[in-house]
Amino acid sequence: MRRSVLDQRWAGYVAAALSVLALTLVLKIVGDHLNAATVSLALLLNVLFIATRWGSLPALLASILAMLCFNFFFLPPFATFNIAATDNWISLLAFLLTAVTAGQLSARAKKRAEEAELGKREIERLYAELRDAFERASHAEALRQSEKLKSALLDAVTHDLRTPLTSIKASITTLLDEVRGRVNGEPPALDAESKVEMMEVIDEESDRLNRFISGLIELARIEAGELQLRRHWGAVDEIISAALARAEPITREHRIEVNIEKGLPGVRVDERAVSEVVYTLIDNAAKYSPKGSTIRITAQRAGEQRIQMAVEDNGEGIAIDLRERVFDKFFRATRDGDISKPPPGTGMGLAIAKGIVEAHEGRIWIESGTGGKGTRVVFTLPIGDRNAFEEREYSVSHIERT
Amino acid sequence: MTGPQKILVVDDEPQLTRVLRTGLKSRGYDVRAAADGLAGFEAFNDWHPDLVITDLAMPNVDGLELCRRLRAVSQVPIIVLSAKGEEKTKIEALDLGADDFVTKPFGIDELLARVRASLRRANAPGTSETTKTVLESGDFHVDLESREITVRGNQIHLTPKEFDLLVYFIKHAGKVLTHRTLLAALWGGNYVEQNEYLRVFVGNLRKKIEAEPTTPRYILTEPWIGYRFDPGEA
Repeated sequence: MRRSVLDQRWAGYVAAALSVLALTLVLKIVGDHLNAATVSLALLLNVLFIATRWGSLPALLASILAMLCFNFFFLPPFATFNIAATDNWISLLAFLLTAVTAGQLSARAKKRAEEAELGKREIERLYAELRDAFERASHAEALRQSEKLKSALLDAVTHDLRTPLTSIKASITTLLDEVRGRVNGEPPALDAESKVEMMEVIDEESDRLNRFISGLIELARIEAGELQLRRHWGAVDEIISAALARAEPITREHRIEVNIEKGLPGVRVDERAVSEVVYTLIDNAAKYSPKGSTIRITAQRAGEQRIQMAVEDNGEGIAIDLRERVFDKFFRATRDGDISKPPPGTGMGLAIAKGIVEAHEGRIWIESGTGGKGTRVVFTLPIGDRNAFEEREYSVSHIERT
Repeated sequence: MTGPQKILVVDDEPQLTRVLRTGLKSRGYDVRAAADGLAGFEAFNDWHPDLVITDLAMPNVDGLELCRRLRAVSQVPIIVLSAKGEEKTKIEALDLGADDFVTKPFGIDELLARVRASLRRANAPGTSETTKTVLESGDFHVDLESREITVRGNQIHLTPKEFDLLVYFIKHAGKVLTHRTLLAALWGGNYVEQNEYLRVFVGNLRKKIEAEPTTPRYILTEPWIGYRFDPGEA
């Protein structure tokens, strides 16, 4: 490195000397009739060139050499360093001053340009380094967040699996104790009613476990993009009726109002899946609104291409900042007011509903109910293309299975 | 003792309180249930139960806070229901004064055994009396004045710290004692992180009191949590 800098410096001096000599030779060959001004300009140009290319010291050498050559070859008396006329002294001095000054100035300009270039490169390097560091940091942060999320999800899942299991285990061991006690001739500790109650708990909690596991599987399918939609032309009122029939046991203590726009076209959807969405929304409405209140189900057109369905309740409503989060899996909003019970459900219903709606290229969101009270969950679905082949829209994604 | 013993069950899971209520009632206990710590504390103040069984994770006032509030006003035995993965909270509850824990899911027998042990301990006369100079507990006989101890009729010789540790164990027989609790009680607050101290002393104590120090029957290890002392049947 150091060596090449030195070489360059010497190359500058050599170039300065050679260029001045060569230029003088050319000017001499071209003829003596050239006037002093032309010659001095040509030599000055050479000095400038040396200055910009090799810097101030070679330029100084070039200036002095040029001055000597100018004097020796082009100022009378020729071929001597003597100068006859006074004004030629002045030209020579002016030439020297101009050459040195121009040389120094252009060399300085060159140095500045180089420094600026270096500075720019340094800034670029620092910027790149900073960006890399930032990317590494944000990657690590994202990883940490995702690990945190994973462990939070695992906690939620294990809690939801263990809770019904705990009730089942406690019930079954209570019953088992009773049976074992009877075998050993101990007096019965449980009356018939208590036994039935224990068995009811086992039955209900097994169903709860099963629902939870089915939900997990469905959610996993949606997340893997493997949700298989079986799209057919179906009627909206049938979809809603199916959901209502299924929800009958959980809505006995609510009033149900259904309002379907007249002349609503058929939709090309997976009827079972969409009915599941409606059921989930009715189920939530029933859970989160007081007994005896009204649950409203509406369906109407939303423009040329879409229909819109909504389920509305008179419950506490959902705070605006939670309206996105309730669609996150395992998120459960605690209800205001009633603290005697934990939030019901598995925290998967709305996540699954969202998955189904989006697989249909629809949209789902939450707004306040009529008059700003309660919760209204709205979703849209495309009506579907009359000319589409059934097979073409068979599924969201085709995963080869072995 | 008059009437059945009263147990308060505090859990936010209605199905579990339903089962525990029935299971415990069938064993002759009087049972009430509350769905969170706040309701639990209110029920405690109204009803004065003989024992409290509480879940740890509950909305609003959780099990830890309930332990804290109960210990501020009462020495009622507390059994916490915890799940795997809640170890930290469980230890915290024990440090706050809970007596025992049962890990979910559990069989009703296990819970009943813990309930019986806790109630027995709470009703045992005189464990907290300071004027008493002789401690009789299971296989152990301790003279606090002469600092003499016999186990199964054999006199043993302990260092002063070993003696203090054993007396602490005997006074809290049956109760789960966390490393932290023991260290704070015997060495003071500055040593609560020095589990190895405790391990050495418990090891030495076991060599002197246990028939088989490798399979102890008096000082039982509660993995990751601490120890439980069983004085044996006299």
